[in-house]
Amino acid sequence: MVEYRIDRHSGVATYVQIVQQTKQALRLGMLEPGDKLPTAREVVEATAINPNTVLKAYRELEREGLVEARRGLGTFVRRGLSTTPADSPLRSELDAWAERALASGLDRDDIAALFTAVLEKHFQGEPS
Amino acid sequence: MTALATPPALTGRRTAAPHLLRWLVRLHRPALLVWAGFVLVLGALLIWVGGPLTDAAVEGWKHYHACAAGGCVYDPSAVGRYKDWYTYTTIAVLAVPFLIAAWSGATLTSRELENGTAQLAWTQSVSPARWLAAKLALPAVLVTVGSGLLVGLHHWAWSAGQGRLDSAKDWYDIGTYAANGPATAAMALAGLVSGAFWGLFKRNSLASLVGSLFSTAFLWSVMAIATPHLWPTVTKLSSLKNTVPSGSGIVVDQGLVTSTGAHIANPHCGSTDWAQCQTLYAKLDAVSYYNDYHPQSHYWPLQLTATAIILAVTAALAVATFRLLERQTGTVNSRKAAAI
Amino acid sequence: MTGTAAIEAAALGKRFGRRGGWALRDCAFRLPAGRVCAVVGPNGAGKSTLLALAAGLLAPTEGAISVLGTVPGAARERVAYVAQDKPLYPQLTVAETLRMGADLNTDRWDASVAQRVVADGDLNPKSRIRTLSGGQCTRVALALALAKRPELLLLDEPMADLDPLARHEMMGLLMAQAAEFGTTIVMSSHVVAELEDSCDHLLLIGGGRVRLAGEIDELLAAHVRVSAPAQTALEPHPVVESRTTGRQLSALLRPSTPLDTDWHTSKPSLEELVLSYLRNPEASAIETPETAA
Repeated sequence: MVEYRIDRHSGVATYVQIVQQTKQALRLGMLEPGDKLPTAREVVEATAINPNTVLKAYRELEREGLVEARRGLGTFVRRGLSTTPADSPLRSELDAWAERALASGLDRDDIAALFTAVLEKHFQGEPS
Repeated sequence: MTALATPPALTGRRTAAPHLLRWLVRLHRPALLVWAGFVLVLGALLIWVGGPLTDAAVEGWKHYHACAAGGCVYDPSAVGRYKDWYTYTTIAVLAVPFLIAAWSGATLTSRELENGTAQLAWTQSVSPARWLAAKLALPAVLVTVGSGLLVGLHHWAWSAGQGRLDSAKDWYDIGTYAANGPATAAMALAGLVSGAFWGLFKRNSLASLVGSLFSTAFLWSVMAIATPHLWPTVTKLSSLKNTVPSGSGIVVDQGLVTSTGAHIANPHCGSTDWAQCQTLYAKLDAVSYYNDYHPQSHYWPLQLTATAIILAVTAALAVATFRLLERQTGTVNSRKAAAI
Repeated sequence: MTGTAAIEAAALGKRFGRRGGWALRDCAFRLPAGRVCAVVGPNGAGKSTLLALAAGLLAPTEGAISVLGTVPGAARERVAYVAQDKPLYPQLTVAETLRMGADLNTDRWDASVAQRVVADGDLNPKSRIRTLSGGQCTRVALALALAKRPELLLLDEPMADLDPLARHEMMGLLMAQAAEFGTTIVMSSHVVAELEDSCDHLLLIGGGRVRLAGEIDELLAAHVRVSAPAQTALEPHPVVESRTTGRQLSALLRPSTPLDTDWHTSKPSLEELVLSYLRNPEASAIETPETAA
């Protein structure tokens, strides 16, 4: 199950936050195919956001083929994004890289900036 | 965009009426208890006045009459106590319409409008008109039963002394006349409705209390003045040998009749046994006294006519109250909106 | 125009007393069913008057208002209303107040909803209303309104008495109601930020008139914040507000044609949009096409 946390001051549209957090949960394996997403009612009761915002996010996820709505039952995960499970070699390499960066005296912001710059280089033109 | 789920499938027509009675009883429980207590206590007092107190006073009078000749000692306290308590209970019965008017004016509609709880009720499944009807109907029944019981008991307590007690009040004594009859019960209803009217009109407890009391007092005074004229009087001619015109009851007009049959004012001289008066009457060309009055047989026609008039005024006031409410809450203009 | 309107007003006006001022005038708007609508405006703008008219508590002085396709008086059973000061009978207990709701809404009452709302607030059913705090009264008033299972829920400044935690809980409760039953919710506030995340529709009232009405997304998309050198001609775009500071001109526009690409543009926030309209009473009122009555 996933619990959404809405940050009102992030400047990111609320429905986008839900989409991002769902994808994050898929990537980290917290959501797997067949899992049920919380109902709109459950989400809005906890977050006090407009129900249509939740539905808009779920429609977006559906459009991307990540989830499917089953009438009367709820919204279910169709496929995972768990290309990088917590124990994958890629992750351990990144882990080691972060340790080296830290050891070389970089702080959190420096490392994040470096990482983002590399991402930008590889994914030019694609929306974040 | 569509509704997120099926809308509530509760759009069917009304099947059960709101339980207004239970709600009203809970809402006005304190007033209900006070009224019940008042009716019980005053009713018990009236039974006491008409029973033991009257009997004791009758005994007292017997002693008095026995002693008037022999010069023995008698105890006047029983007679005095009867008189006092008769007066207290009469005043209490007469106060009923004003107590009801004050309660109704201060709380029935005014306080609810002031606090917004009337609006709370109107936004449940109860229309303002239905709300007002319920708020008037339940107290109206209780007021009618209670005040009817009290005037009935007063009438009984009064009649218990008739013919037995020299100090018993006559039927036409103004307090006794009013407290004995249904007109006072009708007046209590008028007080109830006027309180509801003023409450809607002023939407303020104090202003409504004052308005309600004043309008009830006004109606009471008008009826007190008008009552003798509600039924044709009986005219009784009597000899000038008497000191005053004969015929007792509610007097409307009295004076002297001249030889031509004209009615002139009574100079209040007295009997023709007095030479002075005989001269005066001769000079005025008076031949007899006349007295336009209501004898005791007119008691019920007068009471019932007055009751009918008060009830008619009450009904008119109730209609005005509903109209006022409709105008305030828009049920009148509703047809216009339906046109959109 | 599709679907039924939750509220529809035409040339609606309300004046208190014969010689009193107009609390509301020339109001025309259409609120489609199923929306969560924020009625926003400064204090005394006419928000409460509008809600009371929709609840069938006041008669319009002119024009007309219809609710759920009928006159407000005929929709009483399907509409719930919570007044600004949350009136309740002070002498009743919480349980008796809910009993009143059951007695006066015989057909629609859902006791479990009322019970849950009250229990979530740790309210003792035996407490007298007069001993409750403002926030607790709000909870009881909302319990009455929600247990009626309304199709339209009218709330006048519902959050004013609540602390931030209770505010979040209550708003969650209302949103859950909207999600589960498709209830149309209309709530007024003079604090825009309070409603921004929860509402999808806006009715901006200023000086007794409707200044903006429509879907929030559409209204925001229809406006642009512009920064440009001073003396830039903004024509032909309708200007809501413009200010010149030194060599800098900043304005809020409702572009009618594509904008000059030299200008630095950004999307306004809902609060900026609302404040711009309120600061400039002469800016013309707009309604998004869907809501034009």
